[in-house]
This record gives sequence, structure tokens and C-alpha cells, in this order.
Amino acid sequence: MKISLNWIKDYVALEASVEELGRALTLLGLEVEQIIRTGAPQLDQVFVGEVLVRDKHPNADKLSVCQVDLGSAGGVKTIVCGAQNYKVGDRVPVALAGAVLPGNFVIKQSKIRGQLSDGMMCSAKELGVAEDADGLLILDGRPALGTPINAVLPVGDVVFDLEITPNRPDCQSHLGIARELAAWFKLPLIYPQEKFRGKVEGAAHPELLHNVSVLSPEDCPLYTAHIIKGIKIGPSPAWLRERLTAVGLRPINNVVDVGNYVMLETGQPLHAFDARKLGGHQIVVRRAADGEKITTLDGKERTLSSRMLVIADAAQPVVIAGIMGGENSGVSDDTTDLVLECAIFRRQTVRWTSKHLGLTSDSSYRYERGVDPHSALEAAYRAVDLILETAGGQVVGPAFHVGGDVPWKREIVVTHGYICDQLGFEIPAAEMRTALEALELSIAREEPNAARGPAWTVTVPSWRDDLDRPIDLVEEVLRLHGTDKIPPAVVSSPGLIGDDDPVVLFNRRVTDYLVGHDFHECVSYTLRSAKEISTWVSQTAAVELALANPFVDDQSHLRPTMIMGLLESLKLNQSRGVPVTQLCEVGRIFIERNGQNYECAAAGFVLAEPMGERSWLKREPADFYAAKKHVAALAAAAGIDLVRQPLVPVTGSFYGWQEGHSAAAGEMAQGWTARFGLLNLAMVRSLGLEGKIYAGIFAILPEKLTGEATRRRYADFSLMPAALRDFALVVDLAVQSDEVRKTLAKIARAAIGNAFALESVEVFDVYHGKGLPEGKKSLAFSLVFRSAERTLTDDEVNAVGQKIQDEIAKSTPWQIRK
Amino acid sequence: MQATLTALVAKAQTDLAALKSRPEFEAAKARLVGPNGELTALMKQMGAVPKDQRPAMGKLINETKTALQALLDTALGTIEAAELQAQLGPAVDPTLPSPDAGPGTYHPLTLVREEMCRILRKVGFTVADGPEVETEYYCFDALNTPADHPARDTQDSFFFPPTARFGNVSKHTPDEKYLLRTHTSSVQIRTMLKGEPPIRIVSPGRTYRRDTTDATHSANFHQLECLYVDKNVTVRDLKALLDYIFGSLLGKATKTRFRPHYFSYTEPSFEVDLGATHLPKVKKDWIEIGGCGMVDPSVFAGVGYDPEVWSGYAFGMGLERLAMLLYGIDDIRYFYQNDLRFLKQFA
Repeated sequence: MKISLNWIKDYVALEASVEELGRALTLLGLEVEQIIRTGAPQLDQVFVGEVLVRDKHPNADKLSVCQVDLGSAGGVKTIVCGAQNYKVGDRVPVALAGAVLPGNFVIKQSKIRGQLSDGMMCSAKELGVAEDADGLLILDGRPALGTPINAVLPVGDVVFDLEITPNRPDCQSHLGIARELAAWFKLPLIYPQEKFRGKVEGAAHPELLHNVSVLSPEDCPLYTAHIIKGIKIGPSPAWLRERLTAVGLRPINNVVDVGNYVMLETGQPLHAFDARKLGGHQIVVRRAADGEKITTLDGKERTLSSRMLVIADAAQPVVIAGIMGGENSGVSDDTTDLVLECAIFRRQTVRWTSKHLGLTSDSSYRYERGVDPHSALEAAYRAVDLILETAGGQVVGPAFHVGGDVPWKREIVVTHGYICDQLGFEIPAAEMRTALEALELSIAREEPNAARGPAWTVTVPSWRDDLDRPIDLVEEVLRLHGTDKIPPAVVSSPGLIGDDDPVVLFNRRVTDYLVGHDFHECVSYTLRSAKEISTWVSQTAAVELALANPFVDDQSHLRPTMIMGLLESLKLNQSRGVPVTQLCEVGRIFIERNGQNYECAAAGFVLAEPMGERSWLKREPADFYAAKKHVAALAAAAGIDLVRQPLVPVTGSFYGWQEGHSAAAGEMAQGWTARFGLLNLAMVRSLGLEGKIYAGIFAILPEKLTGEATRRRYADFSLMPAALRDFALVVDLAVQSDEVRKTLAKIARAAIGNAFALESVEVFDVYHGKGLPEGKKSLAFSLVFRSAERTLTDDEVNAVGQKIQDEIAKSTPWQIRK
Repeated sequence: MQATLTALVAKAQTDLAALKSRPEFEAAKARLVGPNGELTALMKQMGAVPKDQRPAMGKLINETKTALQALLDTALGTIEAAELQAQLGPAVDPTLPSPDAGPGTYHPLTLVREEMCRILRKVGFTVADGPEVETEYYCFDALNTPADHPARDTQDSFFFPPTARFGNVSKHTPDEKYLLRTHTSSVQIRTMLKGEPPIRIVSPGRTYRRDTTDATHSANFHQLECLYVDKNVTVRDLKALLDYIFGSLLGKATKTRFRPHYFSYTEPSFEVDLGATHLPKVKKDWIEIGGCGMVDPSVFAGVGYDPEVWSGYAFGMGLERLAMLLYGIDDIRYFYQNDLRFLKQFA
């Protein structure tokens, strides 16, 4: 909201500087977004002068020596000037010795290149009336010589553009802001004095308006109408036009301008009808019919619905209540008789209508935030006064007043001690009283209270509907005391001995792991496109993860994985010629299973081949087993041992993996899931990325993370030497090593019995090709045997080895490779 | 015989010095001192030596044996040294770069978040977490946000269709809609409902607004909020916390200022300005950094805490904004592009 300082000064005799006012408004909670200076500042010793002679400066090509006539302000003066845009006979502003121009520029009599100059001819910029200026300000209309320049230039003003919080509709007006500043500077607030107080003196003219009926009183709790007869429409007086212009409104005519002026003064929107144009000479406040139409002042036809409130005449709607008038009912140049509406409309109704029509106005803005019904009549009287003053005419009967019968009364009881307790520091009781009273929160009663200081019964004025409880008054006291005066203190905080949330601990662990393994941590957008999800993840995810109201098409769905974001970052870096191989992200993803969505804590990464990079020393590129190691580490951070989990080839739920080169573990039914391996080569290429990209992702339901690690117990280990035996088995190519390993371990344990221990079975070689039948491969395992008590003898180990060989031959389809 | 022995040693000296490899050495050793070696052969001739000369000869043989052993040890030492040298290859050029990727880097938003959490942990706050998909109750109703507040509008927040089902995000009432949380304040409500006062939490996390992406706005961004609930908590305590946080993070020269403001879930409410002209790219005297206030009694009543007994404060801020201020970054989109030249600057 734009506030004019000149205007504010009508209600409070402010003397503070603009800087002090800016600070006061800020600390009052009225955020100053911009300070705009308009018109000319007060300029002493600057007069209208006429250039009589313009000679070239003898010592400077670009300067002139002028004789300038200032008439009554000092006669003819000699002025040296550098501007080029003027000619003899032009009238211009002349600053004489003693003038102080904006920027603290003091004008003195001085010698310029040897020529005496009595002062300076000025540009608009030098006078502070324009941001930019080319040459002297040439004055139009030949103002009298020697006239002080302020009489010629527009009046200077300072406009504060304020952001008003939604709880303070009373501050959507100059009077409201003046009230706040008066309280801050401890000055009296001067209300405008109305002459008209509702008493209609002329004869009644029911032929102009004979009836007002409010059919929807819940939407319109108060409706008043006054008739003013015999007005003359014309331009507003200069003072009124200046005020409106300063705050960015375009003057239209005296009646419309008064309506706007009073709204900006009091916060109460008003509307004026041409009485002739009200069909049937009546006003009906009603809900619109569905499909009913009105053409608003801006020339657009609007289709209304039954949730919208209108002001109608006998036949049709003439105003969308509280928002905008119709094209045909407003005042025009030939209007002589007015009906002046001053009403209160329900904020929700105005808001809904405004939103659904996409139509806002200064009026709707105020109604949406709340207008004080108990101050409405004052605004109507004020408007009547100003219309009579600027457009003439006479108030005639009948006057209409429908509703508005709920009286206002609100009191809050608060003690001095309560306020101090909330603040944490002491403000003297007298200061608090003064602060409250300055805001017109009058103290109805003060009762002594031994423990809590004086107890006040505070009367809340009708425009402060936001004040309802003792805590609300704490803010008022603190605002006027100054939030910049809260005394410093040391943070005192007895420990609560809590731990961070398990999700936080998990995130921290996986981030540390990935960054520790040379990944660059990324942050990418959560919202992705439907097409991407249906292509890369699944068709159902592209349905279930959709937002109801996306803002842009390509950010319409929750992400079911972070790999797409990482690929995008990979591509961005590649296209910018920045070498990158390892990226990771930790955050939330959203997994869809059987029509249910699950929000998961997750970590993902990509491992790309170095692209187009030359290195003086070659390294092996990352492979499937690098991805496997990292995913296992991420799972371990959540307390899950991936090695003990069945690993299956990836199918279905994420199309983006390369079949036969990727794997999955876990399921949402268990509360977690992991995917890793090679990304689909063709799909990666379709993104414009080159080469093999390995990736991995681990996701877990937040509630599955407990944060409590199981306490480990120490287990004895043998100090005796180990005995090793190797077995190579020929198996089908498709057989997984883990299946063979587990069987082999089982056979070995059975062969050993209780004699000693099988410490480990590990695969150490995989071979297929020459020397083996087609479709077969050889898996070589190393078995480690150890006893807790003694060194094993060759004989007993050989015996076990023989048993194992016999059992393999007997019970498995595999052959021992000799 | 004495001459033979001396000659043996002399020859061994020459031969052994010329040896290059371990097999040559082993062969030479066998030739000299092995069972069929020259020394052994000479020792076998001892029987032919007259008895009176035997002690002297025995001594001589022993001396020869010792001498040969010493020569063998030296030769072996030389060969071993040569072997190790061969393993090494030429000397490295320590100025060549490592061909390995690395080191990894933390994202600047993570760095700022973790630093804030560390600062708050020192004064007893623990880090809390909550879902990004929220319901209207946790995001608005419990925070005293009126039904017609603009944030509840589909213009300003991302909602899910009524058919959307989230298996692990609980609703407070069956009819409420799911949406993406507009602030991390919803974590305050979940924490208060789950636990009991006193409470001291900091909740960092991702939040969403239906907004155009430009240099200072992003559809998703990150916030960090503090909630403190205890007995006799005051406005002065709140100011002390903010002075402490920003003094720790940005240096002692930092000033904080409260401006009265309005939030539905705090009363009184303030916007927090930082005076930090000592930071790079900071030109204004005061920069808005977040909002705060004393928890509104109606919020306490809503989660079943007695507002007559419990009081508290809440503070929230944008992490991107803080990181931009701290590092002098002027475009929020850089946080989401992940250009390595950006990411590597903060490690």
C-alpha cells in the first residue's frame, strides 16, 4: 500500500526525517518496500529567471556566460552555464547563492574559468524533480520572473510503499498508518471533522431511490445508501488530484476521486451510482443467478454464478458486490443525482468471487482482508462532505441503513507482570499504559495486583479485531517499546539428552560414505515429468505419483528414483565440457507399489565412464561389482546385510536397467528395496549420454530406521594355522555362484562333522571358454579349515576333501574339474 | 693344498661378484659349498693329509669356509638389492596428477544444514525429521492457519488428487487432502503430538511452493526450523538464540534485528533481519533471513499441551537463502544444476 507523507501529515504533525519515519514504520511491523520521492523538495533561493543574453565564455568552448533576469528576486544576474538546450527568452530555474540543492549541494557566488557567476541555472535532476535530465529545465507557461520555484513545480512528497500483514486491515488506510506513527512519535492523532452527520435536511425524493433490500444478509451485514441531488461532475480540485496521483491513482472526476480518496483515507470502499440509471429506482443486494451477465467498468463481460453477490436494480446486476461496478450504472459527465453506497461485504464471498472471476480491485483487496463495519458510517459521512465540497449538491432523503445492528464491545484483562513474563525483561507499567493508550486501546479499569503488578481491563477498538487475548497485547507493548531494544542474553539450555532422528543419522551416514568414496553430492528437483516416469520407471507410477495441480508440465510427478536427476546433472556437466564420473544424491523418493505410494529415505549414485578425457595413466572403468559394493554399503547404513539377501535380476518396476547386467534386492513389503547395475544402454544413449553408466539406489521406509544399532558381541577366534583346499566345479553358465557356494559349504560342513571348523568358502576364479564344454563354466572355490585347539594334519584334511568330492559327484549335477 | 684353498677363495671372489640372478647364485653356491662342491671335495681329501698337519689344515679349511660364506652373503645381498631395485622401476615424478577421480564433495546445502545443526546441537537441540508429503491438518490446521488462507489455495501449494494413497503418511482426519509440505513447521506438530514437553528440535528439510523458478525462487527449496517448548520461555530467550546462531555462523560482527510481523502460529511474531555487511556481496544494511515468534497458545492447545503451563518459540528460515548469503551465491538455480565447477567450490 502506498502512503503519502503529505497526506499523513493531515492527521499527525510529523516532524521526523524520512529516514526516521522509515525506521519507525519498519519497527512498527509495517515493512517499507520502497521510498519514492515525488515532486520537488523545498528549495529556498531558487527562482524563475529569463535568459536575456547568452555569450560564449572567453576561456571555455563549452560554457556560456548569460545575463538572467530574476525580476523581483534580485534583478539581472550573471550566470555561467554549461548546458546547451536553451535559448535567449527561455524561463528557467535559477539557484542563487545560499540555495541548497538535493544532495547537499550548496550554491555560492564563484569564478568559473575567470568569469564571475552569481549562481546556477538548474536541470530537473539538480532540483530533485526527476531521476534523469538532459540540460536545463525549461519552464512552460512563462511564470512570473522572481517566483519562488516551489510555486511553479509540483509539490514535493515522499511516498512509502508498505507491505501490510493480513492481520492488520486497519493499516490499509492513511488514517490507520497515521495512528501507528502518532503512537510511535507520541503525537496526537487528528481525525477529519465531518460536517454531515447523517441528518438529512432536504425534502425526500423517493423518485430517485425508494427501496433498498438485502436478500442475502450473511453476505452483506451492512448496507447504507445516501442520495445527493444536484451535483455537478467536473475535475477534482488540485489538492485532491495531487494526493491521488502521489499514491499512483489516476484522477477521473470529483465524485469518483472522492470515493477513492475516502477509501485510501479510512480503508472503507465506497461506490457511487447515477440515480437515473437504477432501474425501478431500487437497490437489491442478492446472489447472482447462475449464468447471469454483467459488463464491468473495464469493458469486459463477466458471467456470474450463484455463489457471487451482486448489487442489482429492479432488472439486472449493476455492481459485483465489493469488487467492481457495471459499465452502465456509474457516474458520467452528465450525472446530477447520486446514490452513494457504503457497505460491508463478507470477506469470504468477495474473495471467492474475485478469485473465480480473476478480477481484483482496491476495493476487493480491502474487503478480502476485512473492513471494520463499525467505522463504515464515518466514511460515508466523510464522503458526503467531500462530494458536497467538490461537486456541490444537497443530501436528500430517504437515507437507507440495512443491517449493522451487532454492537462492538471487547475487553481484555492483562497484568503488567504477565507481559513482562512473556517478554523476559521489564518494561515499566507507566510506559505500557502509555503505549496501549496511544494505540487507542483505552484502559477501562486499573486494579492493583500485589503479585503481578497492575491489572488492566483494556478496551479494544472495533478496527482492531486482531486483538483478542492477553498475548496479543504483549506484541502491541513490545512494538511500541521497540523490538530493537530487546536486551541481549546468553542462551541457557539444560540438555534434553535426545538423539537425532534415525532418518537424519541414516542420511548423514550414507552421505559421508558416498562423499568419502569420491562421489559429488547433488541436489535435484523432486518433481519430474510423466513421460520420464512412464519411460524409465513404470506406467502405474506415472499415474499414482501425479500431482493434482502441477505448475509446469515437466514437473508434474513425484520422483520415484533420484537416478534421473543424476543423469540430468551428468549430461549438464558433459555438455559443458566438465569431466565427471561419480555423482550421488541423498533424499526422499516416492515408490509406488500396487496403487499405494510410499515416501522413502533413499540414496542413489551413478558411475560413468570418463568421457573424452585423456589421462597419462589408465585406470579400469567402474563395473557392476563396484555398484554392488556401494549399494551394500548404503544398505549397511540402514542395518541391512545385502550379502545375506537374495539377489534377483531387475524386472518390471524400473525399466531403466540393462537386463542381465543389473540386480535387485528387497521389496516394499519388507520396508526397503535396492537396485543396482548397468543402466539400459539404449535408453542412456537416448538421453544423449555416451558409454556405460552403472548406478545404484537404496530406499527404505523412514519408520524402518530405528537408529539403534545392535550391540556387537566378541567371538573367540582360533590362533592355530589354517588348512586350505581348492575345488573347481564345472557348472551350467546360468548357475549363480552363490548357489554353488552355499551347497559346497553345506557339503563341507557335513564332511567335517564336529572335528574342526569350516572357516570360509570363497569363489576365487570364474572361467569359461577353451577346455570346457559349450554352455559350461568353471567356478573355483577356496575352502579354509581350522581347528580351535590344534594344527590340522594333512591326512585328516585330505580325508575331508575326499568326502566332499564324493558327495559332489553323488548329489550335485556338477563335475569336479581336475 | 693351502695354495688350492687360497686359489679357491680368490676365484670365488671374482665369480661371485659377476653373478646377476638368484639361479646363477644357487648354482655358484652349489659349485663351491654344496655336497658336490669344490670345498667339499677338498675337505674329503683331509684323510690324505698327514696327521700332524691336520689341525692346521682343519683350521685353514674352516677359515676358507668362513671366507666363502662371507663372499656368498655379500653376493646374495647384492642380488637381493638388485631384485628390489628391479621391482621399483624408474623414480616417480611426484608432480604428475593422480588419474583417480576425487575427492568427493558435499553439496553446499548439506554443508550449511549440517553446520546449523551442529551449532544448534551445542545448545541442546536434536535434529527431527518428517514426511515431505503432508496432510492439511499438519501443514495448516494444527498451525492455526485459517481455512481461507492463500497458502491453502491450489494457486500456491501442490496438492494430490483425492484418490492418491500414501501408505506411510498418516492422516489426522479421513477427508483431508495430501499436499507437498509448504514449510517444515509440520514437523513441529508431528513432534509435539508424538512426544512430551520439554522439546527442543531443529527440523531441516525440503519444502514446496507453487512458484515460478527464477534467480531467487524454486519450486522446491529447503528450510530449517527450530522449536523450543518449556516453562517460562520468553521473547528475550528467542532473541538470544538467534544472536547465538548467527554470531556462530557468520561471525561476531553479525547483528540481528526483529521486525514485528504476522504468522498464524506464533504470537508475537517477528521477521528476522541480519546486519552482516562484512559478508561478500552484502550491500544492504539489513537482509531478511527468516521468521520467528512465540508459539501461539492455540497451537499448544491443539496438540494437547496446556498453554497456561507451556510456552515456547519457533524460528524458521530458508537454507538456500542462507547459503547464498554465506557463500555470496546470486542465483538459486545453481544449487539444482550440480555443475561440478560449482560443487567443488565448497568442499
